[in-house]
Amino acid sequence: MPMPNVTCLTSVRLLSSIFRHHQLLLPSVASVKVPKRTVFQGEYRRPGRPKEDKFPWQKINFNFSKGLQGIKKHFTLLKKEFFERWVGPQGKPLLEHILEQNRVIWEFRGPESLEGWTVSSDREIGGQSEVYLKLGRNNNTCLLYGTMSSTPPRDGETRYSGYCTMRSKQSLASFDRKKHFDWSSFNTLHLRVRGDGRPWMVNIAAESYFSHQKDDIYSYFLYTRGGPYWQDVKIPFSKFFLTHRGRIQDSQHALWLDKINTIGFTLGDKADGPFQLEIDYIGVCKDYAHTEEFAYELYKRNPEV
Amino acid sequence: MKCARCLLQLCRLRLGGRSAPLVRSLPSSHSWLLQHTQSQVLRQFHVSPSCPKTRPVPAEFNEANKQKDKSLATYDDLFEQGAKEAKTKATFNKVVEIFTKASVRRRGHVEFIYAALKKMPEFGVEKDITVYNKLLDVFPKEIFVPRNFIQRMFNHYPRQQECGVQLLEQMENYGIMPNIETKVLLVQIFGKKSHPIRKYERMMYWFPKFKNLNPFPVPQQLPEDPVDLARLSLTRIASDLDAKVTVYQLPCTDISESGQEITLPHVVGIQSPSQMELLAKHNPSRPVFVEGPFPLWLRKTCVSYYILRADPAPADEKKEDPYDPDRCLIYPLQLDLDLECDLGDDESFDVEDLDEGPVYAMCMTSQGDQATLNLWISGLQKSNDILGQVPTLFRLDAGPQELQWVDTDSGHQQQPDSETHKEASQPEVEIEEELTRSRGMKQ
Repeated sequence: MPMPNVTCLTSVRLLSSIFRHHQLLLPSVASVKVPKRTVFQGEYRRPGRPKEDKFPWQKINFNFSKGLQGIKKHFTLLKKEFFERWVGPQGKPLLEHILEQNRVIWEFRGPESLEGWTVSSDREIGGQSEVYLKLGRNNNTCLLYGTMSSTPPRDGETRYSGYCTMRSKQSLASFDRKKHFDWSSFNTLHLRVRGDGRPWMVNIAAESYFSHQKDDIYSYFLYTRGGPYWQDVKIPFSKFFLTHRGRIQDSQHALWLDKINTIGFTLGDKADGPFQLEIDYIGVCKDYAHTEEFAYELYKRNPEV
Repeated sequence: MKCARCLLQLCRLRLGGRSAPLVRSLPSSHSWLLQHTQSQVLRQFHVSPSCPKTRPVPAEFNEANKQKDKSLATYDDLFEQGAKEAKTKATFNKVVEIFTKASVRRRGHVEFIYAALKKMPEFGVEKDITVYNKLLDVFPKEIFVPRNFIQRMFNHYPRQQECGVQLLEQMENYGIMPNIETKVLLVQIFGKKSHPIRKYERMMYWFPKFKNLNPFPVPQQLPEDPVDLARLSLTRIASDLDAKVTVYQLPCTDISESGQEITLPHVVGIQSPSQMELLAKHNPSRPVFVEGPFPLWLRKTCVSYYILRADPAPADEKKEDPYDPDRCLIYPLQLDLDLECDLGDDESFDVEDLDEGPVYAMCMTSQGDQATLNLWISGLQKSNDILGQVPTLFRLDAGPQELQWVDTDSGHQQQPDSETHKEASQPEVEIEEELTRSRGMKQ
């Protein structure tokens, strides 16, 4: 008689341990702030994880105080938007807007500047890399650090992994409309960074029309020198090439600068160990010496069909 | 394919029907007949019936493999057995050759290539183009080439093509450029417009574009000697062509009088003339810091360096040096033209400047303790007299090197870290100690 009891107990304990394990796992995944994604663009579901059995309306938080906060936030934004127009385009006087030669888009001068960013690593897909974002030594730079690990998750499907990413959040206007950056009067991306010798990748996501283009990203490389000195990097936008989910596309297209959504930095150099990247500011500027429109051939597909 | 299978079954049925009466009449000849007819009849369908479930285990390994159930023997075992003595390129090539010569049909070559790709880093051949070509050579030629437009339209032999693409992808991941031999092989195996050829063309288009992009190139083979490696990395991070590398101590192993071995670490430093100039202007009442170790990555190796720096000077101490008009007599070094600047001529970014204090020198050593770094500072003192009067503080992190624990006395540079979980996972101890270098040592 006691035997089944014991087995029952152990199985219960086993279950509870699994459950606890899950609970331990879940916050670590959830604490990585994921940018707001659309319904179609759900979170990456790892192989083997069951589908979430919930209706879409069950995920919505119908809270009264949250609603009040939302109303306050959105109407403040709307008011700001409305009165900005009186000053000039994008809240700047017209003369300044026309004659602008360079613009600082993101600078890291305080803890609130980190709120517009989100970090993620291959932990989302079951890997072991870690990435953290914090302010630098004097609270006026942003330090992205962590450990890189290219051990693939043991799910039988994933063949390789190992990436760490920092990406800016989609900026939103009132009532959660998308707000885009208009950089069409500039032609160069200007970064002031200090790395540790690892090569990074700069990703720019532009607004697209069709939903199958939502993962289209324009990328280029960012090589860091390492050492105690800051490094001013100028990357012309013409050099950015089109990628989709990590693959270079055959038919390339120049980056259209009128609707830029996000910018991101990715590390995936397969060298296991700690890494760090310190960013002072990210800006755009107009380089008169640079006249190239697109650095890659447009007159044929590569390879040809 | 289906009709072939039907025919095969028919054949078997007929065989069974024919052999049944034979068993009754001639039981002794049964086994021979069955063997004979099977090997004769089924050969027409390009399937060898003699061992329908066994992997083609070559003769060399047959002895070791006798006890095992042969149907479960994988190709990983083939490599394990082949590499009993040493895992080298020679043994890898030998295994591939054995597989190629084992049978004409090369059954299971896709699985073999997948297993070989997985085993390549173990054998140290993952960056060898000849080995990849040899692996491609395992594919049978001209069988997977589509022959008519329907085959061309659909994915002809998808598993084989996928395998070829994966081989090329592994080459891509290790940054190896395919050569003309690869192309010839791929055309022979899969035809001119197949997926592996597409992949090859993509690689040949993009690889040369990105090959020499790095403005701070790292050599493919890093120097073995730690001093050479230190020299290379220091000149890389100094970003100044005038900077001079000085070797303060060469690594050597001595045996002391008491008989124990003493290993002296190497100390290599770098300093540029502008850094020396900055250091000469340093206010002697303010301390300089030795900080480190900081990581520097050269491809897949991580080295660490130490810097000598100072905190930024306070605002009242900062003064701009007036230009010395005698420095250049031909043209003035400073122009005081009152030009009206338009808003459109403003080329500088509207950002607050970061002032982190100057860096005076950098060094690399294999042993980051204070005694070793002291050696560096006293070496620097020969060329920079001011270091004799400036107090030097050591702020060393417990990095990759083992450090002795010293009591900290001031809460300097302990920033509140919100991410406690990071602290817990990676204990970072800041050892900070006022260097009590006596006056006697300085003089």
